Amino acid sequence: MTKVFTIALHEYWINVRRPDFIIFTSLVPLLGIVALIVSLFFGRQAGGAIVRMFDSGLDVTAVVDRSGEFTPILPRFEEEYVHYGDEAEARTALESGELQRVVVVPDTYRQEGEVTVVTEGSRFSGSGTSGLRAFFTAHLVEEIGDETLQARLIDPYDAQVEYIGEQAQASGGVAGEILSFIVPFLFGILLAVTIFVSSGYLVRSVAEEKSSRVIEIVLSSVTPQQLLAGKVIGLGALGLTQILVWIASAAGLSGGLVVLAGIMLPLLMRVEVFGLALVFYILGFGVYAVLIAAIGTLGSSFQESQQITGIFIFIAAIPMMLTGVIMTNPDAMVVRVLSWFPLTAPTTMMLRLPLADVPWFDVAGSIILLLVTIPVVVWLGAKVFRLGMLMYGKRPGVLEIVRLLKHA
Amino acid sequence: MTESVLSARNLCKRYGVHVAVDDLSFEVGQGEVFGLLGPNGAGKTSTIRILMDIFKADSGEVELLGGRPGESRERVGYLPEERGLYRDQRVLEVLVYLGRLKGVDGATARDRALALLERVELEEWSGKRVKELSRGMQQKVQFIACLIHDPELLILDEPFQGLDPVNVEMIKSLMRSLVSEGKTIVLSAHQMNLVEELCDRILLIDEGRALLYGSLKEIKRDFAPNSVRVRAAEMPSALPGVVGSERQGEVTLFTLDGIGAQEFLAALVERNVEIESFERATVPLNDIFVAMVQGNAQPGR
Repeated sequence: MTKVFTIALHEYWINVRRPDFIIFTSLVPLLGIVALIVSLFFGRQAGGAIVRMFDSGLDVTAVVDRSGEFTPILPRFEEEYVHYGDEAEARTALESGELQRVVVVPDTYRQEGEVTVVTEGSRFSGSGTSGLRAFFTAHLVEEIGDETLQARLIDPYDAQVEYIGEQAQASGGVAGEILSFIVPFLFGILLAVTIFVSSGYLVRSVAEEKSSRVIEIVLSSVTPQQLLAGKVIGLGALGLTQILVWIASAAGLSGGLVVLAGIMLPLLMRVEVFGLALVFYILGFGVYAVLIAAIGTLGSSFQESQQITGIFIFIAAIPMMLTGVIMTNPDAMVVRVLSWFPLTAPTTMMLRLPLADVPWFDVAGSIILLLVTIPVVVWLGAKVFRLGMLMYGKRPGVLEIVRLLKHA
Repeated sequence: MTESVLSARNLCKRYGVHVAVDDLSFEVGQGEVFGLLGPNGAGKTSTIRILMDIFKADSGEVELLGGRPGESRERVGYLPEERGLYRDQRVLEVLVYLGRLKGVDGATARDRALALLERVELEEWSGKRVKELSRGMQQKVQFIACLIHDPELLILDEPFQGLDPVNVEMIKSLMRSLVSEGKTIVLSAHQMNLVEELCDRILLIDEGRALLYGSLKEIKRDFAPNSVRVRAAEMPSALPGVVGSERQGEVTLFTLDGIGAQEFLAALVERNVEIESFERATVPLNDIFVAMVQGNAQPGR
């Protein structure tokens, strides 16, 4: 165990100091900072458009009402909508920047429904007409005396959908529901990204040890199992470090609190989902990292090894591609199969857990299966590793590997 | 032979249809230098990898330092034929890491690494990256890497490969001092003159099978032709048992038949020949090696 730790520490420490690691890791925060600077100094106009898109408080619309339907403007719209008797006068105000758009309502409005919108925005940034709907509806239903009916016409229904055969309910209302879905979903993406990033380091590490021929010296001191485990832990930590730096910098640049709240809120609401997602994350990483490190030894060069291991990254991403199916029917047979199969279980479960009360049978089963898979993968991986590490030259075919494994 | 530190019995290893090691048995005694010889592809490296628990034997038994292979990695130093170092890391860092993998704590590994670097005159290079070292220097670093944990048994596969004569001398003297400390060395090498100089006993294998096994002295005696080399100013013409003679300056090489070297010497003394030197002619190990592998020699002529 000490040796595993020594290897892990060595792998981590050697790689974390590499210039390419430092550059690649700081790339994301640097890009963020560059984007900020660019938008501050050069992007005032673009920035303004973005701000308006998100901040409707600055948005003022002139209404040139020739139909009489929108006069007077209802008190709750008075801040954002201003009456103008003359279109030319409104256009001048628009050009001087006092307004964001002018809406001209002709006297034929009630029959034809056609209005003219004059706006400073380009076709690209959009006309900003989506907000007008509420304004129009509110004024049109004003003729109806019944306030309840008015409210219903404006917002016809609030659907409480109930699925038969399912009691799952995310507490905390709509926001909680969305967040408790997003967080495990992000976990799924995080797993895929960690596997992707760490597998690059793993493949490079084994390819380097193989091509520099240092491997046989190392294997005279430790077992292939110890070497494999040490590498997976050390380089897994390395990949995680990189991702944490990225997340932290993204959080820092985007105001931190929003991201933190996004993580904490659902945490408080559904601790068990978060906990299980973490378990699946760790187990999933273990299975994939061992597989990738072992298979990575079979290539004769870094590039070749990376091609061989690419297939596993693809498998890890399969459930992400089936997000639609998992979302609409979290208990479908195909989803259940994916949650039991150890290679797809981690990502599938991360997507499935927040959407439904997954039967404990499925959760326990897939965790147990993953736990059983890891030693099997380590054992088999060590065999492949032992074989691949000492085999120079041509990459063996699948049949040859199976044949050679019997002798390893 | 003294107490055995390594014994292999009936080792077999196949790769598919190819037999790499075929029913090989041998023992290595405490404190000796044991030569494992053979042409390329004879099965030396496969045998060594089995001893080091890097490969598993298909059948047969190995007892290494009183246990199975792999049980005493910390007590064995191994210099593989396929070897290298982490090229981007610093010399001392690599040595300390390899020492720690052998179970030595960091501080001890560091002290020993520095002492060994000094021993091979590389102390100034300890802070350099491995890739900055010349090939010969790297070879020396690899050599001391397998000594870092002060092993009892050393298995050296081609330790002289790529070294110049000065460095060969340095490694040789290092090996001698290790033996004087009571270490045991298994040496696989192609330079027969070095094997002759260093080894007490040898095992010559070809196609996985043992061709010769035993004390180097005895093997050389068995292979020695019945001939003597005599240095004398004058040599009588009629001598008993001589079937051929060849004069090279003052030295004459006599090929004898029906008479031993001892008897021949007595005959020379009897005839009052002024002998300056007298020696049995021996065959260089190199010739024995070539002859055995080509399959055209039998011990005792």
